[in-house]
Amino acid sequence: MNLMLVAPELTIAVTGLAVLLIGLFLPTDSKKILGYLASLGVLIALALTVSSLGTEALLFYNTVSIDALSQFFKIVFLVVALLFTIAGIKYTEGNSNTEEFFTLGLFATIGMMFVASANDLMVLFVAFELASLATYALAGFEKKNIKSLEAAMKYFIIGSLSAALMLLGISYVYGATGTTSIPEIAANSATLASSPIGIVAVVLLLAGFGFKIALVPFHMWAPDTYQGSPSVVSALLAAGSKKMGIVAALKVFVVALIALKADWQIAFAILAVITMTYGNVVALKQTSVKRMLAYSSLAQAGYITMAFVVLTPIALGGGIFYALSHGFMKAGAFIATAAVTYMVLSENKDSADPDHIENFRGLGKRMPITALCMTIFVFALAGIPLTAGYMSKFVLFSSTIQSGFVWLAVIAILNSAISLGYYAKIVKYMYFLPTDSEKVSEPFPYTIAMIIAAVGVLALGFWSEPFVHWAMEAASVLLTGGM
Amino acid sequence: MAVENLAFLIPVLPALAFVLTFFLGKKLPTGGAIIPIAAIATSFIISLLITLNLLANPEEVVSQSYSWFAILNVGILVDPLAAVMLTMVTFVSLLIHIYSTGYMSHDKAPSRYFAETALFTASMLGLILSDNILQLFICWELVGVCSYLLIGFWFEKPSAATAAKKAFLTTRIGDVMFLTGIIVLFSDLFKIFNGNVPDGVYILRFDEIFAHIPDLAAINANIFGMEVSHITLITLLFFGGAVGKSGQFPLHVWLPDAMEGPTTVSALIHAATMVTAGVYLVARTFPMFIAAPDSLMVVAYVGAFTAIFAGTMGIVMNDLKRVLAYSTVSQLGYMMLGLGVGAAVGSEAVGIALFHLINHAFFKALLFLCAGSVIHAVGTHDMRQLGGVAKVMPITAITMIIASLALTGIGIPGTSIGTSGFFSKDAIIENAYLFGETTGTWLPYIFSIAAALLTSIYIFRLIFMTFYGKPRTDYGGHESPASMTIPLSILALCALVFGGLTTKTFNTFVSETFVNNFVNMDISSLATLGGYHLAEHAGEEPMLILWLPLIMALAGLVITFLIYGLKIVNMDKLVSRNNPIYKLLYNRYYQNSIFTNFISVKVIYEGFAFAGRAVDRGFDWIVKWFSDFTLEAGESLRQFQTGAVQNYATAVITGVSLLVILIKVVMEVL
Repeated sequence: MNLMLVAPELTIAVTGLAVLLIGLFLPTDSKKILGYLASLGVLIALALTVSSLGTEALLFYNTVSIDALSQFFKIVFLVVALLFTIAGIKYTEGNSNTEEFFTLGLFATIGMMFVASANDLMVLFVAFELASLATYALAGFEKKNIKSLEAAMKYFIIGSLSAALMLLGISYVYGATGTTSIPEIAANSATLASSPIGIVAVVLLLAGFGFKIALVPFHMWAPDTYQGSPSVVSALLAAGSKKMGIVAALKVFVVALIALKADWQIAFAILAVITMTYGNVVALKQTSVKRMLAYSSLAQAGYITMAFVVLTPIALGGGIFYALSHGFMKAGAFIATAAVTYMVLSENKDSADPDHIENFRGLGKRMPITALCMTIFVFALAGIPLTAGYMSKFVLFSSTIQSGFVWLAVIAILNSAISLGYYAKIVKYMYFLPTDSEKVSEPFPYTIAMIIAAVGVLALGFWSEPFVHWAMEAASVLLTGGM
Repeated sequence: MAVENLAFLIPVLPALAFVLTFFLGKKLPTGGAIIPIAAIATSFIISLLITLNLLANPEEVVSQSYSWFAILNVGILVDPLAAVMLTMVTFVSLLIHIYSTGYMSHDKAPSRYFAETALFTASMLGLILSDNILQLFICWELVGVCSYLLIGFWFEKPSAATAAKKAFLTTRIGDVMFLTGIIVLFSDLFKIFNGNVPDGVYILRFDEIFAHIPDLAAINANIFGMEVSHITLITLLFFGGAVGKSGQFPLHVWLPDAMEGPTTVSALIHAATMVTAGVYLVARTFPMFIAAPDSLMVVAYVGAFTAIFAGTMGIVMNDLKRVLAYSTVSQLGYMMLGLGVGAAVGSEAVGIALFHLINHAFFKALLFLCAGSVIHAVGTHDMRQLGGVAKVMPITAITMIIASLALTGIGIPGTSIGTSGFFSKDAIIENAYLFGETTGTWLPYIFSIAAALLTSIYIFRLIFMTFYGKPRTDYGGHESPASMTIPLSILALCALVFGGLTTKTFNTFVSETFVNNFVNMDISSLATLGGYHLAEHAGEEPMLILWLPLIMALAGLVITFLIYGLKIVNMDKLVSRNNPIYKLLYNRYYQNSIFTNFISVKVIYEGFAFAGRAVDRGFDWIVKWFSDFTLEAGESLRQFQTGAVQNYATAVITGVSLLVILIKVVMEVL
């Protein structure tokens, strides 16, 4: 077996362990180096993945598959991990537990990457849990911060419940088909489709993935956790771990359980509509920017799940492309919030809610680069042309209309209009409301991470064609894989 | 590395300079002027090298295209037409930037000024380089935005803010027509391909458009009961855009008001970066115009009429810059006429129009910069308060007189002695004569020759009133610094000798843009398509026709000298509100009343806007209701989020159970 095929995962694992061990022997002052090390590791893994684009292989007794879909999502996760580690350099400054922060982040990334390439439900579940456990700990990284602890606790409890439901779902599938291998399930799913257990299995699995994707009503942990966790961790959760749920759902439903298409299409239709509407409407009234972003990310998840309803190659490609765009937009927005939080906390240590929208007042003058990047991110999230968000919505919505789901597209477009209400509010605070406060210097690693994300958002929006093609290629794996 | 590979840098460098100056300019001396100057100087050198290379090796046209998306591309094209424009724009813009370091030295926000002028130049260069009509349009709009920013540079002055708005809105009318033209063109081409465009074919690229001219001409539309060929429709819509940008009648109203910006901005707009864009557009798409029945006639008539119309207003203005503004409008009319005579002389028209464009850029930039020098020194631009400035500012006076000689076109016909304007303007007037002979319509020629007299009158009136005689008020003043006088001298040299040195080479070089080049068009067969009969041979005009423009120019000089120099006529008596002709001219043919008070206010504002408001109110109500409702809903839905994790778990379990039931129910119903 060619180990080069899992070289990206190995690189991340080795980097994670190295960071952990080196960190033990370093004094707190010099732990900054760990962040650079972790970023370097992610960068190498990213380079390795990009260089192996186009390879296809089955590894580890056919339980892991390398194909266009897995490569695409691996790159999404690695890009998010890169933003996470770069921003983390600043966030962990002076923290004695720096090595844990990066190691946990890297381990979560490995989990996500293996979910992307899983070809067996057991591998998928274990990788899923690896990513989940690492992020539970990350959410509670600020051990002295009661909000952070609460966030981690809620995330953990609901996460465990969802994992149990998912495992139950997997056991039903195994019971009916006698296998956990994804292609074999697809081949043997006739029995499952004809039995009433089928619907139950589908819904249980949906609950498990819906927890990660944050679909209503499995979403309730998300606003609390995104708000309570450190912003950099929220970025990883919203931009990375959410996509893990999506790729897992793609593999399990579109490939393995394609025979039960009728059932889960209805389920996704219901959840997509509820999720996007609920997310957008509730986001309107939020005063905490992180909470607002959490609800916005519910809404975005709602749009992405439209791909499951439409289920044409273009729609799936659009959904996958949306996942990539959302990675840049949402990670960028959370990191921008992290920069603002950092500024607020360095001015006033005991600030109760540093991410309150009032703190964005006059940001255009106080932190011009952060404000500009944040503007790009929220406009992209709202779907303003020339950004990644616009192209994603355009591909996804137009394919929805093409396939005759006009009602769904209309709901989605109305939702986009509502969403502008709260996205524009952030821009209004940043540029149009006056402030007496001084201009402050912008923390360098945050700025770098934001600029990378902003360039990504604009590049995907302006030069989208190759990326859309690439996403379509990834989607074609789904539609031919199950045959 | 061959210099052609650097062509893309020509617009990119000034664009980068814009970013750098915008962010860092405040921290640098003179507002960071050095950044755009260095960038544009480099662009100029690249442009010049490419032009020289093209002159030596006409087949080495720079053409690089990259797929943008689907059937559209981004790319650059440097053929003779683009090359001379690039060289001129970078050269003039460079001199204006150098001059600005002196002129803007007392301003509050020099870094904003230099950033915006750099972007202005970059947009214009991008426009010229575009190898497809869509990219050209994008840069065209960028030019419009920059002109808005720069005309309103002193936005705290209400008149400047108004002028900026007026320029933006007026040119917008043209832009909408241009865009409509592009849309019609696109859909026609798409139809011609039957919606099946092969890979690697970008349908809005110029060579692709030109290749399908016969197909476009075959499509007919029925407009108000008239059979109109689509190619005529498209070219006239394009020309509509050019009318707006290049200040042709009746969309010229913004140009004189655009004087509200700094004088250097006026120089940029009038000489290099904006108004020439319209002429360039028509020149660029000339193969389409010549294949379009009636289009070139329209171009010729509008151009000639604009030339004389603006000339008449130029002779009564008392504001230094306004005289120059009307002069620009008038000269642009000449350029359009130069293109319009293509109906008689074919692709040679591109050469003569472009030649006049380049020469005009030199002497008009010079005129504006001289005027700026006077304004900078004495602080006023009302000619009635000036007089005798020549004694205070000798260099400025000499260079301004040279520019005026170039504008009026003083030279000896049949030889190569003469100012730049002489070669290009006379060429246009002579070809207008040929146009009259061929098509039998003499109005354009008559207009153009009469405008030559007016040109001479208004410009020498300006010279006499400003530089001659005794000061009429006590204005003080001094000669401008070297950073201003050196660009003046360089431009003066160009205005004097450029025309004489290059006339033959230039015309053949540019006229061959569409023959044996990136495209090889059969101009005469296209002309047949457009129903034009090209003249067999050129340059056989009677002696009188050759000498008439010069006679007109000299006559103007004599008349103004008699009136303003020797004062044999008491102008104060003639110039009174009781003289109906003066009143008509001074009030600029009441365009303001017609355009602003009647069309804008009465028809558009009160007519359409009030009707629209009723509809708007209805929409407003719906939108408001919708937003109130969603905000309300948001508030109540928030209550679900209790914060207690037990409730969350309940929601998950309930959700699972409900979903199973829901799916069952929906399956049954469907």
